[in-house]
Amino acid sequence: MTSPTMQRRLASTTNVLVRFWRSRPGRIGLIVLVVFGAMALAAPLLADRSGLDAVASRRAGAPQWGSPSTWWPLGTDHLRRSVWAQFVWGSRISLFVGLAATVVTIAVGTLVGVTAGFFGGRLDGVLMRVTEWFLVVPFLPLAIVLATVLGRSVWNIIFVIGVTSWPSTARLVRAQVLTVKQRLFVDRSRSLGASSAYIVRRHIMPNVSGLILANATLAVPISILTETTLSFLGLGDPQRASWGKMLNDAFFESAITRNAWWYFLPPGLGILVVVLAFTLIGQTLEQLADPRLADR
Amino acid sequence: MAQFISKKVLGSTLTLVFVLVFNFFLFRVVQPDPVANLFRGRNVPQARLDQMRTDFGLDGSRLTQFWAYLRETLQLNLGFSYQSRQPVWDDIASKIWPTVQLVGLAAILSAAIGIIGGVIAGWRRGSAADYSITSTTMAFYSMPDFWLGMLLLVAFAVVFPWFPVGGMTELGVEHSGVGAILDRLHHLALPCLTLTLAYLGEYAIVTRSSLLDVMGEEYLTLAQAKGLRDIQVRNRHAVPNALLPVVTLAAINFGFVLSGAIAVETLFSWPGLGKATSDAVLGPDLPMLQGLFLVFSAAVIVFNLAADVLYAFLDPRVRPA
Amino acid sequence: MTLLEVSDLTVTYRSRSGDVPAVRGVSLSVERGGSLGLAGESGCGKSTIAGAILRLLPPGTGVTGDILLDGDDVLAMNPGQLRAVRWTKTAIVFQGALHALNPVQRIARQISEPMLLHQTQPTKRSAATRVHELLEQVGLPPDRAGAYPHQLSGGQRQRVLIAMALACDPDLLIADEPTTALDVMVQAQVLQLLGSLRVERGLSMIFITHDLSVLTDVCDHLAVMYAGRIVEEGPSGTVFTDPQHPYTGALAAAFPTIGDPASRMRPAGLGGDPPDPAHLPTGCPFHPRCPVAEDRCATTDVRLTPIGGGIGGGLGADADGVRDRLAACVLVGST
Repeated sequence: MTSPTMQRRLASTTNVLVRFWRSRPGRIGLIVLVVFGAMALAAPLLADRSGLDAVASRRAGAPQWGSPSTWWPLGTDHLRRSVWAQFVWGSRISLFVGLAATVVTIAVGTLVGVTAGFFGGRLDGVLMRVTEWFLVVPFLPLAIVLATVLGRSVWNIIFVIGVTSWPSTARLVRAQVLTVKQRLFVDRSRSLGASSAYIVRRHIMPNVSGLILANATLAVPISILTETTLSFLGLGDPQRASWGKMLNDAFFESAITRNAWWYFLPPGLGILVVVLAFTLIGQTLEQLADPRLADR
Repeated sequence: MAQFISKKVLGSTLTLVFVLVFNFFLFRVVQPDPVANLFRGRNVPQARLDQMRTDFGLDGSRLTQFWAYLRETLQLNLGFSYQSRQPVWDDIASKIWPTVQLVGLAAILSAAIGIIGGVIAGWRRGSAADYSITSTTMAFYSMPDFWLGMLLLVAFAVVFPWFPVGGMTELGVEHSGVGAILDRLHHLALPCLTLTLAYLGEYAIVTRSSLLDVMGEEYLTLAQAKGLRDIQVRNRHAVPNALLPVVTLAAINFGFVLSGAIAVETLFSWPGLGKATSDAVLGPDLPMLQGLFLVFSAAVIVFNLAADVLYAFLDPRVRPA
Repeated sequence: MTLLEVSDLTVTYRSRSGDVPAVRGVSLSVERGGSLGLAGESGCGKSTIAGAILRLLPPGTGVTGDILLDGDDVLAMNPGQLRAVRWTKTAIVFQGALHALNPVQRIARQISEPMLLHQTQPTKRSAATRVHELLEQVGLPPDRAGAYPHQLSGGQRQRVLIAMALACDPDLLIADEPTTALDVMVQAQVLQLLGSLRVERGLSMIFITHDLSVLTDVCDHLAVMYAGRIVEEGPSGTVFTDPQHPYTGALAAAFPTIGDPASRMRPAGLGGDPPDPAHLPTGCPFHPRCPVAEDRCATTDVRLTPIGGGIGGGLGADADGVRDRLAACVLVGST
């Protein structure tokens, strides 16, 4: 890449970042994410790991179902574990699975979408049939069936969510690739002797990446919500704390009838806030990628 | 038109076949020997087990097993549940109606409220009404539906014990006639409210977006020039065009809705297909899961087909000439 | 008897980046049975005037001046009066693009809608009969009444729009670019239709287009617009054959008359683009593109003035009913 190209790319990226910052929803979303991200990373500093352990908690004299007034800051659960510790440490799983699953979704979806759109023909037909099949099959039962079959671990959950979510990304990417492909510069490139790989890399991908980024940001909430639901149903990793697992415990240990609101309110609020943040960021990115959406 | 419909039906049948194939191979991978699983922990003589394997057609090659599976499925023989030892289809059949009641009602309510909200928000874009409707619906859409249910439960079944905590009917009491209906509604209230609030966000957002797309069109100015009131322009010309994609969405959603209440049914102990799924997960009751997966998929496929046909009826541009 | 009288109309659109003056002090009038042609390039404000007459502009748009329709001030009407006047006194024929008609309604229903709304037809049945009459009048086979817009050709859609405009027997018809999207043969048919409607029904018309040659046959009187103002007006024949304003000259030359050696010799075409209404040039807005511009053109703001010794000062007619020739150019008139 020549230097003027680098400068141009740098300038346009900076431009995008500045415009992003100017949008209030985008700004709020980003700040919220940074806060939660920091919390997840700084977990050991914010809550001692022993709070997650039932035995250690008993030794520490924690009560069962202690309300926040008796055990600061968020009370305890049926096993005397600190809810705050679960919230802080649980954010790691929820955020990590959400992001990792989205990476899988985007990677597979982009690969399928670009391949189908760029090469067309029979390959496109076959890939699109597969994609449509996945779109028709109900998402949650498929995830449940796969999770049950594969076993309960964080990596399996990531795989399951990725496998069930990639089709909508693939469809979006393919549509965009088809639009780009029609543009003349692709034909001109080819007549100059460019290989397919070159065209994809230099021409197709840069024009598709904006859309992919926006789609990715909007896919993260889906991944997070799916992980939460799967954990709630008992398919999450039993060893790790996650917000979904907190809700699972809350329900099955009758936190609701006990009105132990400190146990199920924080994880749900955490999910709500994080999902909203990603949605705001995603919508802002969408508007930047397609200015026609700006007036919505 | 008949040709159009039959083509669509063919496509749907093909998809259903793929679902069956998938179902078969996935579960065969996990449970190579269903008979042993079925009688796990019970002392059954080996000869008996072998006999059962032959009866169930499990001693043939993969292909013959698949044909057997296909045949049996079409006869609604979906195997036996590990947990209840009853035929899977009987279990499922008894749970369809409770789910349809709950989810059907919520689907209708959420569509109606969501669409109205979306129309108001879109027509008055940028106003306070738009802002409040859009942010509320976005909030509901961003939370786990069962968590919303938990909040409603705590508020209206625990703190203010106006509604039951779960179940479909009152335990130990036999209601009849009007009393039975009221009891059912009483138990239906909270889970249905949860699902309605969870679903309406999507309708509101899509309707609003669709209406905004329509609002720039010239035929609306023409309608105004004819002397129609603002509301008349909106309702007679804008909304029918804006509703086209929403109707398709609603039809498709009805299909997904059968499987969309898994977590909420579990939370409210509502004895439908969703709760059956989460119970089956705990086993794991694989034949049950397999059967449920098939039923859920079939529902989606059927409703997608209905949506395509319905859209053709509503949008004259899509119909074959 | 003057049917429509517009005095000093100014329309300013509000946008995020500021105010855009689309129409800047336009005055025009249409007599009963008369027809006025309004010509100009895109963005000159002619379609805005059409929208302003029935107050169809986006809410918040600044409109000042007077619009008198049969003596009533349109701008002072309350919503109820305005709705009653729309379509019954004045109707608009839009450009017949696909989305000028509601895609999911049959055209019969769209044509009968204003009749039932304003109760010019009491029942659905009588409205349906009237729809058939109208379709015949515009040259469409009545069996097309049950068709959807996408099933019709461009020319047919245009005729539907005309039929629709006639539904409540208006006094004034405003045709906004009715032939622009059509090919030449269909254009001729539509123009002939409009011409015969004028004659048969005594319909008054405002015909808006960017094609000057079309107007000379259909309209008595012609007004040429540029950058939100009228720059020349007069009887259509003379304006076209003997344009006074340089812009009119260029516009007329752009549509040469085949077989007329005089038009063949004229310089054709005009460089540059119409000015952005939000950033108009100083002085005469046409001076950057004007082939005969002088220095004073950049500093003198021109107004419409009578030329060739007319009555002067406005839109009057002399004793013979011949209207003034007016032009807005410092190089013209006053001689």
